[in-house]
This record gives sequence, structure tokens and C-alpha cells, in this order.
Amino acid sequence: MSSLAAMLQAPGAMVQCDEDPEAVYEFLCEKGWSDGLPVIPPTPERVERMLAYCDRDLDQAVVKIPPRFGAATPLRIAANAVMAGCKPEYFPLVLLALEALAEEQYNLYGTQATTHPCTPMLIFNGPIAKEVGLNSGNNVMGNYFRANAAIGRAVRLALVNIGAAIPGTGDMATAGTPAKFTFCVAENEDASPWEPLHVEMGLPREASAVTVIAAESPHNVNDHESTSPEGILTMCAGTIANTGSNNAYYDGQPVMAFGPEHAQTVASGGMKKAEVKQWLWEHATIPLSKFANESIERRFRRKLADKFANAPLDTPVHMWGKPEDLVIIVTGGAGKHSQWVPTFGNTRAATRALKRADGEFVKSIHELKRG
Amino acid sequence: MAQLTKRGLIAAVVCSDTFMKLGTAQAKVFGVPDLPLLKIQHPLGGLNMDKVIERAGVALPQLIKVVKEKQS
Repeated sequence: MSSLAAMLQAPGAMVQCDEDPEAVYEFLCEKGWSDGLPVIPPTPERVERMLAYCDRDLDQAVVKIPPRFGAATPLRIAANAVMAGCKPEYFPLVLLALEALAEEQYNLYGTQATTHPCTPMLIFNGPIAKEVGLNSGNNVMGNYFRANAAIGRAVRLALVNIGAAIPGTGDMATAGTPAKFTFCVAENEDASPWEPLHVEMGLPREASAVTVIAAESPHNVNDHESTSPEGILTMCAGTIANTGSNNAYYDGQPVMAFGPEHAQTVASGGMKKAEVKQWLWEHATIPLSKFANESIERRFRRKLADKFANAPLDTPVHMWGKPEDLVIIVTGGAGKHSQWVPTFGNTRAATRALKRADGEFVKSIHELKRG
Repeated sequence: MAQLTKRGLIAAVVCSDTFMKLGTAQAKVFGVPDLPLLKIQHPLGGLNMDKVIERAGVALPQLIKVVKEKQS
């Protein structure tokens, strides 16, 4: 393992510019090392402080980020985490998210370069989320909260600066999404009537984990009137069912992010997560006739011929492949709103637990501090 | 295509003009910077058959040229 000082002496490891904040901002934008917003200058001192919470070799890539397949070493990731505004104790969660994105089923290459407006949605579970201050309450998918903003932003900056997801050359998104600045939430486990996502994925409740999903922006479900599970779910199903969603054509795991109040109503009759998934899959459908004739003839009749080659026009088209593929979380604060989050399609969610070098689950982020 | 090229086969990629920068960069990333890109007009998706045939008519002479050059 190389020392930080030695690594910083390598050709190209450092660049110099005027220390004035506006000059740094101009310099980084001109270089293309940016998301367009001002950043904290990643000086060697700041990067070193960030790496205080890294138990890895600083020069060993944790992932090679496509489309450039740039080596994402802790050193490079730390520079991006500084730029994003991360506290050092956020850094293990940035690394964890990037490791999850590297898992094959996520399809990072496809999601980086696609014309579709997707970006990694980071869903954190477990005690570490609370310890570092990740918001799971009001405005959970919005602004204001540093941990949510900075961790998601650090991942996005790494995808651009290390992976070269540069619009028009490496990121071919037609329009993209505002979620590409940051899309990072924690599940509101205390307000959920169901088991948390990481427990559903087979981890113990005391573990901390991230689940990454190649997501579009969230789409709101407003329902201030329903008092029954079927009422809330009917409104969700109506929001889910739309002809333009990738999930209507491809596999993939869209997300139903219930607000706590909606979740309590849905669970009030005893419905389990699996039953909610089944109900929504059965009811969130569109008759084949509602799609454009060209879509019916060219996509459904040919590419999806096993199901639709000779299907009558009143055949229901389900909005994702298999009921169990829906990801359900509970997040947000008070209010009668939930969020539907469609996904890229050719992607699967990846869940990864935060562990120490000895393989034990991390109970406190400070276990990962060097020295 | 990069793997086929590395195994000595003649390979080429049809690429619409909008995606040429991505194609060129990816050829370098995958270690085959000279991988031929057969340039056609964007888009390729959402075309009727006449337009698809038109694109093929642009790509085919480029492919023949690549094959002849590689064989000579």
C-alpha cells in the first residue's frame, strides 16, 4: 500500500490553481470535473481528512467506473467526496454505494451511457444512516439535509469525474433528470409497519446497508381521501400505470416509496409487503389498446411475442415483470403522499452491507476510523 | 466487437453520428482504437422500414470497404 504522500507525488495526481473559491470553481468547470455547482476544493489536506474513515488500500480500485472504466481508488473517491461537501464519516457510505453499483446486476455501464433518464437512487437502512444524519423524514427526496445531499452528490461526481459520464459523449441521456445531482434517502424504519428493506433482502436488522437502484425521478401519489388499503393502493396503481415507462417493457425493479401515513393505512388491514406487491402488480395495468399502434405492432407483437404475439387488445399490460420485483420502502414525514419511482429496466437492485475488514457488520461509523 | 477484433476476426460497429464520440471513446477503452465504426445518420430507433433500408445502404459500402482493407 502506497502512502498518501507518495501517491500525491505521482504524475497527474495533483493540479494547481488559484485558491480563490471562484477561481477554483471556474477551473474545475473548465476541466469538466463538475456537476455544474460550486464545490469544496479537494486540497491534499482535505482529502487526507476524508480518508481518515477509510480502511482500504488507498490505491486499490474498489470499482472501475464505465464508460471510461476509470479506476475508482479511495484516493480519487475521497477527492470527489470532498468536492461534494461530505464529512469524513460519510465516506464509508460513499464507498459502499459505489461497490454496490459495481455489482453486475445493476448494469452500471448501461445505466451510465443510456439515453434514459436514470441515476443511482441510494436507499440506506440500518443504524448507521441515523448515526451520520441521513434524513428519512420530511422532504426526504428534496433539499436541505447535508448527508443526503453530499453522499448522493459524491457518488454522482465520481461517476462523472472517474467514469467519464459526460453528457453527449459518455452519458447519452436525452434529457436526464434533476435526480442526477443527488438521489439519496434513508428508509424511515421507525414509521414503517413492515420489515425494513435490508431485512427483506436477508440482512439482520442491526446491519447497515445500501440498496442502489437505477431510478427515474420520483412521481408523486396524492391521496388525502382514502381510509382503506384498497383506496390508497388504487391511487398508487393509477399513478404507476403509464405507457411511457421502461418498466412496462423490460425487467427491472421499480420502487414504491410509501409515505408513513399511506403505509399505515395500507397495512391497517394486515397486508404484508408481498401482498401489497401482488395487489399493485395485478391492478397497475393498462390495456394493450392504450399503447400506440406502432408500439403494439413493433414492440409487443414482435419483441414481446411470447406474451403478446396474438394477444387481444384488451389484454392487461403489467407495469413490471414479476410481482416480487417491486421494491417497497417507507420514507418521508407527515402527509398523505407517496412516491412512485420507475427505473431503467435492464437493471436489478443491489444491496450491500457495511462491514469491517474482519467481516463483521459495522455498528458505529467510528469503527472505521483509522488509528 | 472488441473481443471479436482481438481474436482476429473482422468486426465493425454500426454507429449513428450522434453516438460517434461515445463509440470512438469506447473503442479506445476496450483496447481496439482502430475498430471500424460504420457511420449512419441518427436515429436508428423508431424508423420505418424504408428508412432502415436507407441506413443499411449507407452502412453496407463502409462495411465492404472495411472487409476489403482487412483482407488485403
